[in-house]
Amino acid sequence: MELRDQIMGAYADHLREHGAPPATVFKFVQGLSIDERSFFSEFPNFDAVESALWKGMVQRVAQAVSGGDEWIGFSARQRVLTFLFAFCEESLAWRSLLLLRVGKCGPLSRAAHVKGLETGFKEFMGPVIEHGMASGEIVGRGPLTNTYPEVFYLHFRAVIDFHLKDDSAGYERTDALIEKSVALAFDLLGKQAVDSAFDLAKFVFVRPT
Amino acid sequence: MTGQDTIRSTPVTRMASLAGTGAKVGINYLKHYGRRALGQESTSLDEENAQTIFKTFSELKGGPLKLAQMLSIDQNLLPTAYAKQFAQAQYSAPPLSYPLVAKTFRREFGSNPLTIFDEFTREAIHGASIGQVHRAQKWGKTLAVKVQYPGVAESLRSDLRIVKPFALQVLGLRESDIAAYISEIETKLLEETNYLLERTRAEQIASACGDIPNIRFVNYYPEICSGKILTMDWIEGITLDQFADGNADQEARDQVGQALWDFYDRQVHTMRLFHADPHPGNFLVRKGEVWVLDFGCTKEITADFHSKQFRFVDPGLLEDEQALIEALEALDVLLSTDSASDRAQIMASCRQWLGLLAAPFHAEIFDFGDENFLREIYELGEENRRDKLMRNLRGRRGSPDTIYVNRAFFGLYSLLSRLRARVKTTKPS
Repeated sequence: MELRDQIMGAYADHLREHGAPPATVFKFVQGLSIDERSFFSEFPNFDAVESALWKGMVQRVAQAVSGGDEWIGFSARQRVLTFLFAFCEESLAWRSLLLLRVGKCGPLSRAAHVKGLETGFKEFMGPVIEHGMASGEIVGRGPLTNTYPEVFYLHFRAVIDFHLKDDSAGYERTDALIEKSVALAFDLLGKQAVDSAFDLAKFVFVRPT
Repeated sequence: MTGQDTIRSTPVTRMASLAGTGAKVGINYLKHYGRRALGQESTSLDEENAQTIFKTFSELKGGPLKLAQMLSIDQNLLPTAYAKQFAQAQYSAPPLSYPLVAKTFRREFGSNPLTIFDEFTREAIHGASIGQVHRAQKWGKTLAVKVQYPGVAESLRSDLRIVKPFALQVLGLRESDIAAYISEIETKLLEETNYLLERTRAEQIASACGDIPNIRFVNYYPEICSGKILTMDWIEGITLDQFADGNADQEARDQVGQALWDFYDRQVHTMRLFHADPHPGNFLVRKGEVWVLDFGCTKEITADFHSKQFRFVDPGLLEDEQALIEALEALDVLLSTDSASDRAQIMASCRQWLGLLAAPFHAEIFDFGDENFLREIYELGEENRRDKLMRNLRGRRGSPDTIYVNRAFFGLYSLLSRLRARVKTTKPS
């Protein structure tokens, strides 16, 4: 196993076991029988280790779903749904860690240790949004278009937060939330009356000089 | 995936949609009275209101849709115009997304639909109020796969809670009038979410009724069935209402009608367990045979209740005052605390009802094509609905079990009338 993975694995175990990050890097590397220098050559600090951990988890789910036979034929909406369902299913394997580190800081937190969730998710969403724009499911709205990945990320965090608080049998309420909220998101991102209104307003009020 | 564009998703939008209905009904009344003031001929107010309400209910799924259906079956409770509109509510429901269907499969069987089946339609072919049907291929057969909406039991409960007060107000009913209905509906709805029970009941009824001519049942495939997914044979056929409204000849109509009658006769009188949801969408007709679908709503009655309830088909009962009183008291329709005048009115009304409802049992061959029969039932229901005493009694008398016997027979009668079938009727022995 590569040193990087070894550190990430040991760090995840430590968090789950002790419920908190190790006090110092010195103490942490003793369990791994490596020296501090090796640690710092891979990661600048503990937050970076954890961030990489989350990013890896998102990437694994993204790879698993996009490698499926049916992926090519899926619309953007189906791709988002598939990812979210798969993420929630997969996250049961490390739910305690998610509860401890993501659940506690709330859906709006930008803490350094969860940064990897964001980067991993946005990397995944980039091509999905492009696919949706190509198929017309998602409408480009000038500079607003750049906020789409951010909007989807906030939605993703809200879904995680809901999933962590969900106490229904088999987390069925999370399924319903994903289904309904993604439907709403795509209804809002698709072409709407407001787009036509904007177009008309531009025509009436803005004259080319 | 445009199917979801019309989902009313949150409780808030549901409330808004229902509040809109209330406003529209109000406007219809204004229009009606405006027209009357101008001395124009008034169109049927109930009909206009019914369309407005139906439109709203059909945009909602789950609880409200079911509530509408249940109320529509009991003509007694609703004006005819409403009932007609609600009877249409049986086919519509918005589809689940394919990823969620796939997830449900993974959770129930550990693999994707396409791993289990050779082919599986990504879009639902039919919606039902609590699930949807996909078409699949396996073992060289065409299969129907019914998948339940996740969390449907809970959403049914919350829907009913939200919708009940609005529905009551809009429909002009009082909660106490239909309290028994609402709680029965809730219990039965929750039962419908248990697909394992549905399969057991379906197989029980199929094995006891398999020898009835022209009644057919679908095969289930237990290895691909669970509490949330049912796999059965796909049947090509037309729904009973399509058949009835089509140009089938009298002989074919009689054959289908007879099959339905025999089917209910066996279930109610012999098994005392019956398919309690006889609306036309639950029956398919193919080559003169009736295929029975959807055993989600079944009702079991006790021998004791059965004997009390079906004493009423004895033609001698109407002649014998004392026997009739006993029979009505046994079912708690008459109470010993009733005043003499109330008693007289209840007795008179029951005589009228019995004369009508038991009529098919008394004839050798009953012609359900006789339009007067169903119209008289509707009219009598309407009359009772308007009568203050009878309205006050409604829902407070009789056993809640009566609801489902009534529902089955009202349903059966209206199916047979729609078919205009002539049926050799049979009486419980």
